[in-house]
Amino acid sequence: MLRDPETVHPVNENKTWPDIRDTLREWRKDHVRCSERIVELGEYALTHYSSNLGNEKWAVYEQLCVAALDLCPSKMQVVNRCIQKLAEQFPSSLRVSMLEGLRLEYLKKWEEALEMYNSMIEYEPTFPAPYKRKVAIFKAQGKIADAVSELNTFLDTFSCEHESWLELADLYIGQQSYKQALFCVEELLLQYPHNHLYHQRYADILHTLGGKENLEASCKYYCKAAELNPSNVRALYGVLMSSSALASIGKVSAKVKSDHQTLAAWAADMIEEHYKAERVDKSVMLETVSVLDKLSPK
Amino acid sequence: MTEEVQLSLRAYAKILSHAVQNPYTAVNGVLLSPEDEDKERLDVVDVVPLFHYNTSLSPMLTVALTQIEEYATNRSLRIAGYYHGNEHHDDNEVGFVAARIADKIVENCETGCLLIINNTLLNHLATELPFRVFHPIRSTDRIDWKEGDKPRLQFGERGLARGPEIMKTHLYRSLVDMDHHYDNVRCSWDNGALNEAVKLFSESLPVSQEE
Repeated sequence: MLRDPETVHPVNENKTWPDIRDTLREWRKDHVRCSERIVELGEYALTHYSSNLGNEKWAVYEQLCVAALDLCPSKMQVVNRCIQKLAEQFPSSLRVSMLEGLRLEYLKKWEEALEMYNSMIEYEPTFPAPYKRKVAIFKAQGKIADAVSELNTFLDTFSCEHESWLELADLYIGQQSYKQALFCVEELLLQYPHNHLYHQRYADILHTLGGKENLEASCKYYCKAAELNPSNVRALYGVLMSSSALASIGKVSAKVKSDHQTLAAWAADMIEEHYKAERVDKSVMLETVSVLDKLSPK
Repeated sequence: MTEEVQLSLRAYAKILSHAVQNPYTAVNGVLLSPEDEDKERLDVVDVVPLFHYNTSLSPMLTVALTQIEEYATNRSLRIAGYYHGNEHHDDNEVGFVAARIADKIVENCETGCLLIINNTLLNHLATELPFRVFHPIRSTDRIDWKEGDKPRLQFGERGLARGPEIMKTHLYRSLVDMDHHYDNVRCSWDNGALNEAVKLFSESLPVSQEE
């Protein structure tokens, strides 16, 4: 998830209890992977506010465990303690088994982890998490073709898993298989037609593919993204880039050229307005105006 | 062909911070050197971190490079190369994407280099720089990247000690890259605050020991 960079200070400095609880909740809800911060705040919350947390503490243990795995080996004791507490509270839980699987993955015990995930799938085939971990293991081993194949099989059954369509799109982009990546984002657009980020992503891939037809399509998708969210600066730059390219690609009639130029000028104005509204420094503003001029059609 | 590359402490701090701030994704960025270059040595005085997401899609890369060219020209600097850290911990090679972006970046400059972050050396910051350097070998229709010597670091070993300090003080958390900027244009990718912090590091080192 894209976020602003953070301060260097400890995350629990001057935070009140409700702030701490709400921050951890927000990170759980949005699946934010800021593991250092989660470990700092999670350990602090469980040490000082365990009784305030009540039953929510089990969700925090799970969250802390996953984050601590990212900081191993130094946080292995934290991982072990979290798994132990959760196993005591929830014996035979699939979610606790997932954490044990993640621990095996950290230790690079791939065969044992795969065995564990396969037996979980056999026991409960409708639980999506172990399928995804199998894909992650292939990725970690550098077996990208196997990861793609496994993920495709998973999505045949679990076609509503949007996180997986995004992951598959990323895997295809990494292999420069842009047409397959487009297909994945199309699935997302079908399920979430009002998500400006998916429209923008689709446009990015089309623009990267290049060629007149793809640029025309990318321009439309960038415009849709900007319509859904006028603050999506990437979409606005995308409109500017694609319409500038279309104004000069191949033989275009004067009318078509003029239309593209008008659209490019609109996008440049919107970007300039956005920078002004955000009150950026004067020097940044001047440089931005110069850049917009360079990116505009001549 | 220029073989020697020197990294300023500021450039090192930013590349390291970019990699450590985003341990789960690929990262990339642009190297900057003074306009009036020394042909014997490539002096990387600063960098601009580009992306930690969408490192390989073209539209925002073109926009970002145009912004950085404008920024560099206004400060008597030039774009002198490209750095890339692969997503996978064990992958320290020049991948297809890194090579193609580096090709594009150096095609208009006489001297330039490609810096690959060696992920496995990020655990050994106190003893060596975590980079591999590649130089362009140009033929009529392509550029091949040939590995050269490791870069030198401003202040030598005393500069190297700043790496672990950046980790310990969590200075890397405040680094702004172009992705952050496009999420929120108020975030400034020239990283003034981080530049100041690195300046304080260097001012604490005796001038006579600068190498």
